[in-house]
Amino acid sequence: MDDLTEMLKGTLEGCVLEIIDGEETYGYAITRRLNELGFADVIEGTVYTILLRLERNGLVQVTKRPSEMGPPRKFYALNDAGREELATFWAKWQYVSVRINKLREGGR
Amino acid sequence: MSFWETITGSDLTRESKVLEARAQALPADYQAAWEQIKNNLYTYGDFSGRNLMPIFDNALGLLEEASADGLSIHEVLGDDIPGFCQALAGGKEARTYRDRWREQLNRNVARKLKRLGG
Repeated sequence: MDDLTEMLKGTLEGCVLEIIDGEETYGYAITRRLNELGFADVIEGTVYTILLRLERNGLVQVTKRPSEMGPPRKFYALNDAGREELATFWAKWQYVSVRINKLREGGR
Repeated sequence: MSFWETITGSDLTRESKVLEARAQALPADYQAAWEQIKNNLYTYGDFSGRNLMPIFDNALGLLEEASADGLSIHEVLGDDIPGFCQALAGGKEARTYRDRWREQLNRNVARKLKRLGG
């Protein structure tokens, strides 16, 4: 599916939070996970800027770990504020999706 | 930051040298992207550009990690380098020179108008 980017914009941050909630992980792995889910357009740079925003807003804990090759990687894990934000995201998602589905069913 | 560094910006020169040395180690297409990123980010700089240093460091860090993963530069940044830089600099709210000049102009005009009794 092309051109999902606009629609995804508001939800990508929640998706990234959810992925990090599963286990501590790093930027490229998150991008790959999103790609596997079918969000093929999501690029590393986008995920990286989301991660920076999460970091700036104090929602994640960042640890630098050496990697086999190349520079040390930044690993991200959710802190309490991050978990709270994730719960809020799912609540909002629930709110929006219930109403949009209702609209669609009513329109038939 | 010492007084000497504040006045001469010598710390910035030193940091830039370190950044450039790191950039030199990247593949050629990554280096080209680095040049573009720098050009795009300069518009978000304050007077000395000191605020950009951590942002440059972040951007270069991403390039280093991605190139170590063997990604193409397109997989990393896509087509929208200005957009990436905007997000990197703090999103749409990132203030540029132009915003500050505009604010200053508005303030000055408002003050003059008040003096005229407008």
